[in-house]
Amino acid sequence: MEDTAIRIIDLHKSFGPQKVLDGINLEVETGKITVIIGKSGGGKSVLLKHIIGLLKPDSGEIWVNGNDITKLPEKELNEVRRSFGMLFQEAALFDSMDVFDNVAFPLREHTKLSDREIESVVEERLRQVGLLTFTEKMPSELSGGMRKRVGLARALVLDPDIILFDEPTSALDPIISLSILDLIRETQQRIQKTYVVISHDILGMFRIADKVAMLYGGKIIEYGTPYEIRRSTKEATKEFLKATKIPGFTGGSYEQQQDFP
Amino acid sequence: MSSSKISPELKVGILVLVSIMILFYMSFRIGRLGTFREGGYEITVTFANANGLDRRSPVQIAGVEVGKVKNIALDSYKAMLTLTIKEGVKVPVDSKIIVKAQGLLGDKYIEILPGTEKKFLAQGDRIKDVIPGIDFNEIFTQVNVAAKNFGETMGEFKDILGDKEKTNIKKSIANIESLSGDFRTFMTDNKGNITRVVNNTAVVSEKLSSIAKDIEQGKGTLGLLVKDDKLYNDAKETVTSLKNITKDIEEGKGTLGKFAKDETLYNDTKEAVSNIKEFTDGIKKGEGTLGKLVKDESLYNETEKAMKKIQKGAEGLEEITPVTILGTIFGFLF
Amino acid sequence: MFDAVTKKGLTPLLGILKELGNIGIMFLQSIYWTFRRPFKLNYIFKQMEFIGVNSISVVIITGTFTGMVLALQSYYGFRKFGAEGLVGTTVALSMTRELGPVLTSLMVTGRAGSAMAAELGSMRVTEQIDALIVMALNPIKYLVVPRVIASFLMFPVLTSIANFVGIIGGYLVGVKLLGINEGAFINKIIKYLDPEDIYNGLIKAAVFGIIMSVISCYKGFYTRGGAEGVGRSTTEAVVMSSVTILVTDYVLTSLMF
Repeated sequence: MEDTAIRIIDLHKSFGPQKVLDGINLEVETGKITVIIGKSGGGKSVLLKHIIGLLKPDSGEIWVNGNDITKLPEKELNEVRRSFGMLFQEAALFDSMDVFDNVAFPLREHTKLSDREIESVVEERLRQVGLLTFTEKMPSELSGGMRKRVGLARALVLDPDIILFDEPTSALDPIISLSILDLIRETQQRIQKTYVVISHDILGMFRIADKVAMLYGGKIIEYGTPYEIRRSTKEATKEFLKATKIPGFTGGSYEQQQDFP
Repeated sequence: MSSSKISPELKVGILVLVSIMILFYMSFRIGRLGTFREGGYEITVTFANANGLDRRSPVQIAGVEVGKVKNIALDSYKAMLTLTIKEGVKVPVDSKIIVKAQGLLGDKYIEILPGTEKKFLAQGDRIKDVIPGIDFNEIFTQVNVAAKNFGETMGEFKDILGDKEKTNIKKSIANIESLSGDFRTFMTDNKGNITRVVNNTAVVSEKLSSIAKDIEQGKGTLGLLVKDDKLYNDAKETVTSLKNITKDIEEGKGTLGKFAKDETLYNDTKEAVSNIKEFTDGIKKGEGTLGKLVKDESLYNETEKAMKKIQKGAEGLEEITPVTILGTIFGFLF
Repeated sequence: MFDAVTKKGLTPLLGILKELGNIGIMFLQSIYWTFRRPFKLNYIFKQMEFIGVNSISVVIITGTFTGMVLALQSYYGFRKFGAEGLVGTTVALSMTRELGPVLTSLMVTGRAGSAMAAELGSMRVTEQIDALIVMALNPIKYLVVPRVIASFLMFPVLTSIANFVGIIGGYLVGVKLLGINEGAFINKIIKYLDPEDIYNGLIKAAVFGIIMSVISCYKGFYTRGGAEGVGRSTTEAVVMSSVTILVTDYVLTSLMF
């Protein structure tokens, strides 16, 4: 497999007069966690929806597995989508199904596995996210963190090559956030797939990112390792990093611990 | 999902089954399926006018449905109908056929009036004896004619009254009126046993009231007099006055002498009485034009005929077929 | 092209046309996906249970009382003509041709149409519909088609039940309460009620089922704006479905009878 899992070339998207994506160029490396960081409402989700083909760009190309998915008809696009998994912002579990059925759903729809095989796969995935005893709960009975775990289990159940994460730590308390981040890191290290995470939670993301892309003004202004980003001299990047600092507070971020005398 | 043991498939299945059963039940109850498949034989009949008849219109004998109209075709400017009669229903060859309607606005149907012959109609036979059906338009025309006749008669009647009779009647009434006026002034004192006067007056009043009764009962053409004539009212008023007087006299109020000696008053009374008598007698005997009118049988009969036809139609009204009225009621309700 | 004023005036009209077009597209899509394998029978049955089985009590109550009040109303009307026997005909014809299909559809719209719009609406705002697309599954096929098919099949079923209990209700009020001649009541129904009346009523109901489900699914499917948007979609779905059903009813009636 080549090194680049997703290649985005000069992607433009406007909603009415508002330019959301204004020439995105990005190469996502295979088998790495790439975090796209930007302000809320800065077009991160829009970018992610382009990668999975939920939105069509005004212009530009997105190459996945040798296909420009912006030009693919629905049928072939669905073929490409089968190599994707996605964890939505609020997990997007199906309300009408219990935890087990939610995780089993992609298997039932896309594979011809027997019920017993499905059961074993689902149980394994749920064990990995630590929710094996919750199989018969309905999504409405779960906390936000648990829902994200189930969502992750569902995203992983078909062994996709690329997993997309939309704000995995939003609306979670710091402790649960950390456990989700650790879970993401842990699963990635085990299965070595390509993870693309978008978030505005810059502190949390430095924990898990192999590569960080800064989205600002509809463009990727900075791309590199977390270390490179921290050393960036670009004004916008520095401003963004500064905004995350809390005066007089030494949080858990090792970035700040390093800066502390 | 659902905690109950019954699966959605089963529940839906039961529901569908129930509704199919309902559908079948209702379709069978109201369905006219099979009427034609039961077999039977066909007879034909020709009407001058098949207006209102339709395919599948019922054919009845004595109100019992024995078949249906199968086809309606035009045959030398007449309507030729093919009727399917149920197997087992025997129709004598001399049967008559008539188009009837269920009420004034109702659906038309065909009624067979069975004959007495022992020979019966077979497949393809033809009923020749067609009784023209009741056409309500026709009835209304007849009623119209009768009403017009009425009007003309009344005109004549008025003319007659304008002549001698009218003056006579008027004169008598004037006489009686002046008489009763005089009465009032002094009869209060003269109430006694003037039996002759009483008797005469009684006769007059009897005759008047018998006329009045006749009129009230609406016998013959005279009935219309009631509505029109001042004559009748005046007469009646007079009778009432006379009765009052008589009553007073009988009660013996006042003195007799004055009245008995008053020749003019007595003569006036007598004259009036005889005038009225003459007039009434003439009417009763049927003399003169007015008498004839009262006794005119043909006019009476004609009127009665029309009335009967209307009545006949009205009887049918009890079973008015709904379609039109239903429409109205629907409009009403919603 | 347009000057500003004309454009402003035309915008609402264009909006309506666009909406109609979108609903039409959703209808065509659902037809297309109806005949694409694999058939999601268990989804259809689940919806049939929800739309059909769970609506029985509402439909029975509505149908019975409609028949009863029809009998009562028409009795007072017909008594003036001395034609009480026609009460049965009135009840039967009104129920089968008009009130059975329409009232059933409106009641089920209130119950199931609102639920459809709310369900799909919340699936939209919580990205469950996106999740389906990301799983390479067509949401029309998985969400809309089962609802449309189930409505299409269940509306006539519910209507036939409403017709039946409506006539029973009319019978109870007319014969048992108001003392109309039982023979006249039943025979006049048999005489004047055609099978076509029933079947046309059921066809109407099936059409209403499609209308209700397509509109409600459309409203839910394209919900915008979070929980508030879901509420708005639900209201709009019920109102639009009901109005469309009544308008279509007129058109269908004028075509059928």
